[in-house]
Amino acid sequence: MAAYDFLYPVVLFGAILVATAITSKVLSFIIKGKFKTWAPVVRANFQRLVSITVWIIGLLFAVDQLGLRIDFFLLIVALLGIAILLALRDTLDNLGAKYFSDVYVPFKVGDIIKVANKSGTVIEINPIATVLLTDNESLVSIPNSLLLKEKMENITPHIWKEMLFPITISSDINLPEFESEILKACNNLRKYLDERFPPVLTIKSRSSQTVELVLTLMVKKPDKKNEIIKEINLKISEIEDRMRRKVT
Amino acid sequence: MEKLSLCLSSQTPLVRFNIEHQDTLAKHGASGQLINLEQLVEGEIYQFTAGGVTRMVFPLLKRMIEEGSLANPNWISLNPFGPEKIMVGGITLHHVRLDKERMKGYGQAKEAIWKAVHGIPEENLPVDSLFWQDEYADYTYYNRLFSELVLKLDQENNFDLFYMHDFQQLPMAHMLNNFKPKIFRWHIPFNESLIPETWRPSLSSYFNAYDIVVVSCKRYLDSLKNFGYKGDARYIYPYIDQTAYKKPPESEISKFNEKFGLKDEDRVLLVVARLDPMKGQDRAVKALANLRNFPNLKLVLAGNGSFSSSKQGIGLSKAELWLSRLRELVVEMKVENRVVFTGHLTHAELQAAYERAELTILPSVLEGFGLVVIESWLYKKPTIVSSAAGVAEIINHGENGLLFNPGDPKDLADKIATALSNENLLLSLGDNGYNTSHQYSLEQGTKSEVELMIDLVGAGV
Repeated sequence: MAAYDFLYPVVLFGAILVATAITSKVLSFIIKGKFKTWAPVVRANFQRLVSITVWIIGLLFAVDQLGLRIDFFLLIVALLGIAILLALRDTLDNLGAKYFSDVYVPFKVGDIIKVANKSGTVIEINPIATVLLTDNESLVSIPNSLLLKEKMENITPHIWKEMLFPITISSDINLPEFESEILKACNNLRKYLDERFPPVLTIKSRSSQTVELVLTLMVKKPDKKNEIIKEINLKISEIEDRMRRKVT
Repeated sequence: MEKLSLCLSSQTPLVRFNIEHQDTLAKHGASGQLINLEQLVEGEIYQFTAGGVTRMVFPLLKRMIEEGSLANPNWISLNPFGPEKIMVGGITLHHVRLDKERMKGYGQAKEAIWKAVHGIPEENLPVDSLFWQDEYADYTYYNRLFSELVLKLDQENNFDLFYMHDFQQLPMAHMLNNFKPKIFRWHIPFNESLIPETWRPSLSSYFNAYDIVVVSCKRYLDSLKNFGYKGDARYIYPYIDQTAYKKPPESEISKFNEKFGLKDEDRVLLVVARLDPMKGQDRAVKALANLRNFPNLKLVLAGNGSFSSSKQGIGLSKAELWLSRLRELVVEMKVENRVVFTGHLTHAELQAAYERAELTILPSVLEGFGLVVIESWLYKKPTIVSSAAGVAEIINHGENGLLFNPGDPKDLADKIATALSNENLLLSLGDNGYNTSHQYSLEQGTKSEVELMIDLVGAGV
């Protein structure tokens, strides 16, 4: 009887963890299938958010089965969270703004922007601030949080045409082949794009796990921009899926 | 001074292989080992690739190694038949392969670029929208493959410098996207007025990703600046290892005469060029047809297809097509008995050809430079040079050579007749050419190239 009392919660704990893992995978798969036209970076982050949420709920349930008090545990986690948020409020503000500016890419290094009565060429974007070089060759540091609060104007010539697609692929994927497939997919949308600026894929960074890329396209007419963004995101997802399947 | 660590890339490989690399490995029982080219038999298993790039780059690297300024350079090139890696004279050659489909697409795209830059109409692909064609995606694939290999080798070797050779490799610096110094050498003609309008933004960003761009003469430099290249642009005249060109023994010349049916009384006009419409062999044939007053005059057309045309290379068929067009022209012009097609010449035969010639011609419609002029000067042979060739910049008409308009075969015929009718002129053109040739030696070239690299990398290296 004693062995049963001990083993039952442990088995239940394990079963909940397994169920959590399966639920997380299934939801991730559903998100991937349902939101193919979203920017790949946004979709990946949404998947991650849902996965973390599922795991937190699953862990709480699992810990509950072991007979441990989760209310005290939750209180400590919440207090720690509040303390971290208060201590790093300004930094997190900037980091969050940097995250959103990465996702929506309103400007990049080399662009000329105007924000909070300052204008200049963007020469650096770091996690805290964006650095501008002004016409009189002085440096202006704009906190990233300000870029979300203030009206920001990108005055680079032809900038309205530009569409940047951040892409993250596994480093196992054959990059030359992936690039070639992406370019061929973009070629099919040529009539909507400015012919003087063919698609360009640039490597932003790479690690042993992933390669961060940006696809740059220039649209011909602004009214088609949204449709093209959806179409290109869809193509990127399809190509990435196909190539990942090849690897596995 | 520390030794420089360099990674170089070119489409054309230093050597072409006549057999598949697995066969090469099996034949030498060297499976899994790095083969040294010296272990293999030249002519049977491989042959050195002709052409300006390889003729300049290989001696340059060898000389820099000998002088102690370069350590274990790595040279990446396209080589469908070659082993993945092979050593020669302290240089590691890496060979990139493309599958058949990609090779076809790549070949068509790069040929379209080449034609546009030379002002030749393209028939297979739409020129203005070339960068939107699937063939261009294959061209990008080729460049990305090279760039990825360069990055991988850089992790192992920590190179000081990347040196890309010729237009096929142009997008590489943009793709590498790192802070290491990069030099690009553009070997073909550069005339910004011939660049299609729709190509300009892309080409401009490709060029501007390099720290230094080197062209083969002053006029291309001016054109590159007008095009909008913002970096350090320079010109270095091409150069050759002049010690490799020796006076052949009489026996070699006799063998050459016999092989190609040349009689003692024949006066030989020599054209050394690959078989390509841009090389203008047709101009020489037409000029010959105008020279009926010189009955013993024979035109010797030496050369075969380039790496792009060869079966061991990209397999484009333009050399064969051009050869058959030239043969037809010879019949049309009724000069069948006065024209000799030699095909590929070994180095010994080439030396004999120069020695045997009375006059050499560079009839190119457009030519990046024209190293064959320097070669012919080494044998004190007078040359008649197309004014559209880069080498025309160093010709003082009537002093070290004669210039002609490549659009006018009659002009070429007149210049040949003038030279052949004046023994003193022939001698002085040859002597002055010989004196000029020393400025285009490997020593001069190495000096300029090392200066360039040190300027970029820093004197500490």
